[in-house]
Amino acid sequence: MQRFRELSPLRKKEAVFGWRLVSPAVILIGIFILYPVLYNIYLSFFQVSLTPGVPNKFVGFQNYRELLTDPTFWNSFGITMLFVLITVVGSILVGLGVALLMNKEFPGRGIVRALILFPYVAPVISTVFAWQYVLMPLNGPLTILLSNLGIMDVTQDLVNNPNNAFLVVSFYSIWKNFPFIYLMILSRLQSISQDYYEAADIDGANGWQKFHHITLPELYYVIGSLVLLRGIWNFYKFEEVYLLSKEARTLPIYLYEKAFTGLPELGVAAAIATVLFIVMMVLISIYVRKVLKW
Amino acid sequence: MVVRKRSFIKTFLFWFFIALVIIFVAYPFAYMVSVSFRYDSDAFDPGLIPENPTLSQYAQLLGLEESIRQEMSNEEEQLIKLLESFPEEQRAQILQNIQSQRRRESFPFLRWFGNSLLLAGLSALTSLIIGIFGAYSFSRVWYPGRNLIQRGVLLVYLVGGVILSVPLYDLFVRMGLTNSGGTSMFSLYIIYVIQTLPVSMYMLGNYFRTIPESIEEAALIDGSTRIGTIMRIIIPLSMPAIITVFIYSFMIGWNEYLFASIFIRPYPVSYTLPVGLREIFFSEHAVWAKMMAASVLTAVPVIVLFMTVEKYLTAGLTAGGVKE
Repeated sequence: MQRFRELSPLRKKEAVFGWRLVSPAVILIGIFILYPVLYNIYLSFFQVSLTPGVPNKFVGFQNYRELLTDPTFWNSFGITMLFVLITVVGSILVGLGVALLMNKEFPGRGIVRALILFPYVAPVISTVFAWQYVLMPLNGPLTILLSNLGIMDVTQDLVNNPNNAFLVVSFYSIWKNFPFIYLMILSRLQSISQDYYEAADIDGANGWQKFHHITLPELYYVIGSLVLLRGIWNFYKFEEVYLLSKEARTLPIYLYEKAFTGLPELGVAAAIATVLFIVMMVLISIYVRKVLKW
Repeated sequence: MVVRKRSFIKTFLFWFFIALVIIFVAYPFAYMVSVSFRYDSDAFDPGLIPENPTLSQYAQLLGLEESIRQEMSNEEEQLIKLLESFPEEQRAQILQNIQSQRRRESFPFLRWFGNSLLLAGLSALTSLIIGIFGAYSFSRVWYPGRNLIQRGVLLVYLVGGVILSVPLYDLFVRMGLTNSGGTSMFSLYIIYVIQTLPVSMYMLGNYFRTIPESIEEAALIDGSTRIGTIMRIIIPLSMPAIITVFIYSFMIGWNEYLFASIFIRPYPVSYTLPVGLREIFFSEHAVWAKMMAASVLTAVPVIVLFMTVEKYLTAGLTAGGVKE
């Protein structure tokens, strides 16, 4: 990298111009993202006081000790992992299936394509109320349908049952986010050259063979990146989970309740955030090296 | 690929799956719309077609018709008149009870709608403007440290709101930006800008690189300034990406619940839609029809916005990838 001093006057002017343009963004990101990430680690070693005049008390690793010996934390940790696994696999399978269907031409395709985007586009709060309505115990239309099919008991409150709330939330998350995956996969599908399929036809390949040997390899990196993105996003997911059911006790909800409800324990919450962040970074770096081979 | 006509079973299966997809997607929306046209007492009548359809839920939300709750407030007004003869302390106590009752029962939908529109709109616009210049800078101008900035933008992409909630809350409390409805909304505005800024820059940067530099050079030779070429060439040519970025940033602000609930919970006048609707939902019973009408009204602006620019959106989305 060249040093600023060694640049020609023209390039110096250019560099100053570039810096000026990008500085508002850099300053904002520095103050409100980078600094808070570091400040969060700092806070995790303190008993945080929000009363003016009362300083934070340094407690060393006590917040972490408290956390790592708390069974609720480990429970939430497990639920979060399961939630991420189910939603990533589920939304990719649904998104891939729908993309393959929509890649064929049929009358009315434009309308169906627009409709498919609805769950992704509609606000979380609206769709959450709609799902709570259809899943209402006793009266909800989906509850009645499922109990008529003998799948569940009509009195059961699926959404607010702590044992399976995370499954309901996972289903909702798949429903809400598959259109994003579908769009990405579809745009890749449409760029695959038809020549491959024609050549395979001449060789007498059947549909499954074409999918397995042409389509899937072409989609490898799109799906790989989508797994990464959805994995990251769902790991942190708060709105979609909390608004549908507080009983789906994933880590972000555990953090929220520690920090902002009842007696606030901001230090412990900061420790949770730090653990979340570290786990995330480790998972990402393993994934990027092993699967995406960057 | 065209469905092969000779195989009846294949055609049948194909349409079966299309129908399945439509039902999967539309199921909750169908009930949301249907229930929104019913009276609260009919909310759980079976079937999708309402037996006694009514527009009154919408009329009440939009302030065209008095709701039962507002009528009850007349009684409270009479009570307040009676109170004038009471001793000071007792009066204050009862007044406070009435106020907290009112706060729980009022449903200022239009006010919350306006708050959400203002916050999401302004923050998306700000993020777009800062993002355009930032993205132009690191995709077109060369300077020492450019790569670092480019990679940094990708890295902050990985930091979720949940991670930032504790330190940002602490920070804004210390800056005194949480002690009134107005300052809390300002805090939210800043938070929404920074939450959308990395993705705006990333998406716009990717798009700017696809615009041939020769067009810009021609303008520069004709005597245009650098800022002039951004305004007259880059921005008009990037409209698809700019529209997508704006809509996505808008949607992030429109949906945001975590920070909104932390910062504006004590100030009902400043509620955004997600916070307000959730408070109402948990404070009352059997208001399903009204909740569904409110849900429809919350969803309609975003869905309409998306559908009108769908072709830009699909292009912009797949070109840049998005954050949520």
